[in-house]
Amino acid sequence: MDGGDDGKMRKGTGYYSLKAIPAVMLLLALFIIPIALTFSDAFKDGGDAILAVLRDDYTYHLLSFTLLESLLSAAISVLAALPFAAFYSRYSFPGRRAMLAFSQLSFTIPSILVVLGFVIWYGNNGYLNNILRTLMDVNHTPLSVLYSFKAIILAHAYLNFPVAFALITASWSTIPDSYENAAATLGSGRIRTFLMITLPSLRGAVASAFILIFLFCFSSFAIIMVLGGNPAYSTLEVEIYRRVHIDADLTGAAALSLFAFAVNAILLALTTPGRKAMRSERKERVLRKARGWRALEALLLSLLMLSFLLPPMVSIVIRAFYTRDGLFSLKAWEGIIGRGFGLIGHSLDALLISLIIGLVTALLSTSMASAIAMASAKRNSRLLPFVASLPMAAGSVTMGLGFIFVSSFISTRLELGGYALNVLFVIAAHLVIVLPFAVRTITPGARLIPDTLASASYTLGKGRGRTYRKVEKPLLSPYRRKAFAFSFALSLGEVNATLMLSSGNVETLPVLIYRLISSYDYQGAAALGTLLLLQALIVFAIGEAKGRKNAVL
Amino acid sequence: MPFFEVNKLEKRYKDFTLSVSFTMEEGDFLTIMGPSGSGKSTLLSLIAGIEAPDSGTIMLGGRDITKERIQDRGIAMVFQDFSLFPSMNAERNIRFGMKEKDGKKQKELAEKLLELVGLSGYGKRSVSSLSGGEAQRVALARAIAAEPRMILFDEPLSALDPPMRKHLRSVIRSIHDSLGLTVIYVTHDTEEAFAISDSILVMNGGRSAAMKSAEELYRRPCDLFTAFFTGEGTAIPAHLIYENMEGSLFFRPEDATISEEALDPDAYPMHIILNDAEVVSADFAGAHYMLGLEYQGYPLLVETSVKPRKARVSVMILRQSVLNLE
Repeated sequence: MDGGDDGKMRKGTGYYSLKAIPAVMLLLALFIIPIALTFSDAFKDGGDAILAVLRDDYTYHLLSFTLLESLLSAAISVLAALPFAAFYSRYSFPGRRAMLAFSQLSFTIPSILVVLGFVIWYGNNGYLNNILRTLMDVNHTPLSVLYSFKAIILAHAYLNFPVAFALITASWSTIPDSYENAAATLGSGRIRTFLMITLPSLRGAVASAFILIFLFCFSSFAIIMVLGGNPAYSTLEVEIYRRVHIDADLTGAAALSLFAFAVNAILLALTTPGRKAMRSERKERVLRKARGWRALEALLLSLLMLSFLLPPMVSIVIRAFYTRDGLFSLKAWEGIIGRGFGLIGHSLDALLISLIIGLVTALLSTSMASAIAMASAKRNSRLLPFVASLPMAAGSVTMGLGFIFVSSFISTRLELGGYALNVLFVIAAHLVIVLPFAVRTITPGARLIPDTLASASYTLGKGRGRTYRKVEKPLLSPYRRKAFAFSFALSLGEVNATLMLSSGNVETLPVLIYRLISSYDYQGAAALGTLLLLQALIVFAIGEAKGRKNAVL
Repeated sequence: MPFFEVNKLEKRYKDFTLSVSFTMEEGDFLTIMGPSGSGKSTLLSLIAGIEAPDSGTIMLGGRDITKERIQDRGIAMVFQDFSLFPSMNAERNIRFGMKEKDGKKQKELAEKLLELVGLSGYGKRSVSSLSGGEAQRVALARAIAAEPRMILFDEPLSALDPPMRKHLRSVIRSIHDSLGLTVIYVTHDTEEAFAISDSILVMNGGRSAAMKSAEELYRRPCDLFTAFFTGEGTAIPAHLIYENMEGSLFFRPEDATISEEALDPDAYPMHIILNDAEVVSADFAGAHYMLGLEYQGYPLLVETSVKPRKARVSVMILRQSVLNLE
């Protein structure tokens, strides 16, 4: 029973639980109040709206389409990532690390930029079609992609292929090649070894990537709204938005969001074991140097990946300086700095409010997530991570709808209102949406801190607070920095909940980009998109900055 | 009143109960030894205050510290995994627990302690750049710097290679001697415990099986568990030799010798004679052979300087070295 962990412990778990209580209470309040108000609205009039949703064939059409696009997007992203992951986890070559870091960038790219990049690159008059027209010497549109089912799938794959690639490569790199070598010495060929040895070890990572992408696509919004372009390609989230902003049917939207919440909760419950299987081991396989044909293969694979990922983003930057007719122009930039008319004239305000909302959201989410992560690691709690991931069960559109109800409740009952209050609602909505991601970013770091460090500090006469500040918090720094960057990026790029709430006139950068796209001002959208891309790159660089000296041994 | 007293200390788990009492004087070096799962580390955690006991008391310097916070006990600990704070360099780790508030004096003291543990000039080194032996020496300096009334060592050398273990154990012992520290040291390594301790507490199944000096434990173990845990030996049923005696007769391999001829017991009244033992194995151990014999179905272990030429031999065991144990 050496070092047994039963019985009364004095390891200070109470201190960490106490520190986490305000964070958990705030999270629960920000999650439960909007959801409760939404559901109470759905149940008014004896639940007629719910019954109508359940009886309506269109609900099941929406559900089946949402499931179909999510399944296809996830399957394509994962299948496309597998061969790349296989090569990248086996060989080392110049540029390998840069490509892996580049794939991580997609975690901070807002979906509205994917929408914009796709319109500018793949559009009928986009750069790709212009290049093809010149090459093929034709007048018609050689590649018609946008406003179709395949545009949705392609955009989802664009956003999620790097996610699958990053997750699977990271996991594959931890499978020691000694297993494969052992199989080879026993006479097993490459295909048999892959199927019998490698694939079973990768199952957790593949399932985890698939589920993550599936859930993301299930609540995808901006991509479906713009790139689908057809009511037949509507998802549950898009329909909730449509009911609020086009039909002005809040009760119908509430009933549908209750249905979507139930489906999401079931999906989350079903997929939890799969996600648990994703466990990072701290081993690494020995990479072989890519030489000869392998070096050429490395170059081709990297070029192939870049040719898929780079053009939409690069075309945003180019389009920001050129008119539709290809003439160089700084009109959009002049508009941004205050000399423009119409929507583009709101840019500086949008930029400022986005930065304020992003900063407050990131600060709050990082500090709340740190408290929750430390308490959950110290208590070895399963409940806390579950509570922290609750908002994921409700899509961001549903959360936005919830805050519409909170906003109307406060303005009618308490007679409060105004712009500042609306900004607070947007911050609250962003906070509840980004918090689960911040908790997931910090928790692995908190779990890596050995208990004996705190014990050592206590035996040296230091109290709980000083031990946390001086010994444990510095070890969390790289994770906190990453969570801050991630929260900031997610908030700055958040469009779903903000658009739902934007009738309350808080116009953030992505909302403005969305409105500029809708009004066909692509150059203005591209100029703002360039700014958003720039911030994503800065935030990514901050998040990825190495904190080696504080690495846990 | 003893300097340190653990009195009827109990900690109950679902399938295990720790129940221990013992005392120590100031400046003693006590080693707690026992097999895995015997409760050594749990006992150390209770003394340090990392875990709370269900009953019993711990007295240090005449004060009951059983319910005191870890921070107030004045008991420092050196951990198996070093537990150096990765966010601080070696010097900062050492200064962390110092009672001295003046920064300049802290630095001087840290440098002195680094010198004491043989790591002069290592102050600015990041702890991740230290080898296992260096890291454990910094951990030792850190514990001493806190000026504790007692230092606990939880298997501090088990993560190190054998030459480093030998070197560091002598470093620890000489620092103990020069500073007059009171030390409780946990290990499962008998050789280490024998080499370093004033006295040894042997634990078995959550209870103390014996507490004596190393030599007494080896020469006069109080039961078969302690006898076998502290070294090699042979136990045969007592009635095999003495008609009405119960229990087992235990002897060490070096207390027996062999003859290739049959011996007359009456000619050797100081010895127990076992004729016609079969040689089962003869392992060369450098300075001697360790013979595995079989006598009337019982295994015997005997140390000899030469390898026997015959398959059957006689064994002579010095009567005064044989113990009757349960």
